Amino acid sequence: MELRGVVKILDQNYKVGDVVKAKIIIIHKMDTGFTKDKESGKPFPRFYMKEITALYNGQKIAHFDLDVATSQNPVIQFPFKVTGPGELVVDFVNSEDDKAQKKVAVTPAG
Amino acid sequence: MERRSFIKGTFALATIGLLNPVLFRHDLSAAEEAVEMPYKDLLDEYLGGKKAESGSAIIKLNVPDAPENGAVVPVEVTIDHPMTSDNYISNITVLTTKNKVNKAISFDLTPANGMAYLYVNVKMGQTQDLVVLAKTNKGKIFQASKSVRVALGGCG
Repeated sequence: MELRGVVKILDQNYKVGDVVKAKIIIIHKMDTGFTKDKESGKPFPRFYMKEITALYNGQKIAHFDLDVATSQNPVIQFPFKVTGPGELVVDFVNSEDDKAQKKVAVTPAG
Repeated sequence: MERRSFIKGTFALATIGLLNPVLFRHDLSAAEEAVEMPYKDLLDEYLGGKKAESGSAIIKLNVPDAPENGAVVPVEVTIDHPMTSDNYISNITVLTTKNKVNKAISFDLTPANGMAYLYVNVKMGQTQDLVVLAKTNKGKIFQASKSVRVALGGCG
């Protein structure tokens, strides 16, 4: 299954040395495994986003370990320090080991 | 076999079956099965025998007192702590206290983050506390919590 998600940088006109915030939105269910189908009575299997890793110019800057108490379609914001132009690469892994990768360019002004 | 003990045995078996629906559910794989995570176990695992210090002075929580919907409770954590290469916050964990699964997120930080900040949406099934734990690279643990009143639960 293809995972859908967005990564963007919230700040604008940032410079080298500034701390900016990045936002991750993932379109994904967070089924706990406790809810049941009303018609058949069978529980929905546990199905959730498991891990998110952010790399900035090849350096690992953030790692998120999620569980089912996170809301459906998780929204996460985290800070990072701009050290130069480059790329922010975010890897997603869900509980069935489906993987996806989203990229955003980091372009400091000046 | 005496009739009395036979009846007793049958009832005991039936009760076990009723109490443990998991035993009789074979159609789900281990990864897909629901696992309860009590708050106390998660806290003990995180602390690892140490004691948590009160972090109310440095941890700022921006959480609504009474969110409209328990399914999406926005949580904003800002920790007033230096982020230098030898003294920084290495992990922020957000827990709830009365959900079936209480672990929301665990965030591993590095000095490259520049500041200790996290925004995440959390599910809350009922009125309960939201607990934020922060660990420094030296092993110090800070704890802060906030009570959240939930009218409409959002956790199955």
